[in-house]
Amino acid sequence: MARLDFEAASLELQQYRQSGERASERVAYLASRIIKDGYSAKLKDDIWPFYEQAVTAALDVGDFRLADECIENLKRRFSSSSRVQRLVGMRYEAEGKLADAQKIYDAILEEDESNILVSKRQIALLKLRGLKSEAISALVTYLDTYYSDAEAWIELCSLYLSVHAYQKAAYCLEELILLQAANPIWHLKYAEIMYTLGDYSLALKQYCRVIDLHEDHLRAMYGIQLCASKILDNGEADGTTEALKELATERILATEVNQCTIDSIKQVVREYLSVA
Amino acid sequence: MSITIGRLLSLVGITFLIHSAYSTYQHLSYLNAVDKAESGLPIEIIAECLISVVVSLVGVVLCAGDLKNILMENEMRKQTIDKLDTAPSFITFNHRGRRAVSAHSLLQRRSHMS
Repeated sequence: MARLDFEAASLELQQYRQSGERASERVAYLASRIIKDGYSAKLKDDIWPFYEQAVTAALDVGDFRLADECIENLKRRFSSSSRVQRLVGMRYEAEGKLADAQKIYDAILEEDESNILVSKRQIALLKLRGLKSEAISALVTYLDTYYSDAEAWIELCSLYLSVHAYQKAAYCLEELILLQAANPIWHLKYAEIMYTLGDYSLALKQYCRVIDLHEDHLRAMYGIQLCASKILDNGEADGTTEALKELATERILATEVNQCTIDSIKQVVREYLSVA
Repeated sequence: MSITIGRLLSLVGITFLIHSAYSTYQHLSYLNAVDKAESGLPIEIIAECLISVVVSLVGVVLCAGDLKNILMENEMRKQTIDKLDTAPSFITFNHRGRRAVSAHSLLQRRSHMS
């Protein structure tokens, strides 16, 4: 087993903490290596968010031993903290003991109704039980108070998409675009929902916005190509649609196809672009 | 590396700045004592002051670390969809990845324990 590069590992874990990416296998592996190889003392004050991160990742991959160890260390330091209790609740959730988790969250919310993290866990519990409409209404109530919480809007959008309520999911994405206007991903998702709903001109505009924010974004270029084709088929085209389609095709060929070394893939893409 | 040089330089610069300030005070009180007020500061003190300002300036700038790209676009390019489209507080654990991954990591552990 190679020696663990502690500096690189702790930097990587910090980046995962900041972005919130769900790379649980990697995080659980790094966390267990750091603890097992005895590097935990080197983390000093960073060790408490490290344990929190390790618990979530460990529960996600089913490594209950690691989760228990981290929870024990956290309990020893923070004996009466609602954050640690929340982690205990999450551990019950992962085991499947939903009633026990519910009891813990109820107790915390009785003490402090405005505890944001635990309110979110309540909603996640409803999702876990399969009560999608209750989860949606709880989340909507939560968003009435905290309307600038981007994460909650993302979750609501996913819930609406899972029940095929595309207009409402589009509304969530509009809120996200208002909150984070420079993020190309919301425009991309919005464009794809508009395409699904059949509003090709709006989808085209949004795909162009993605390219504006992130040059040569492959998915957006495919989107432009498809939208332009649909608009030309419907006969609603104006002067720019043809030009956009050609531009998109040319850029896809330039970026993806010419960089690809496998000839059969190049052939497939070229055929698709001339037909679609 | 450059951060330690920066720290060293700013420390040296500030020390000399404080030293030149103290020498100014000493010189002025000496002029007062000898009744030769308004005779101006010796060139060495002025030079020391200016040079120490420049040195501490360079040191503080080096301490600041690497510059980040100003265009939002270039920062955004590095972000993948996975990093942006997540809701980590709403995570649920009832997915089949649990069984698959725990078996995989158990195998890994066995292989490097033996």
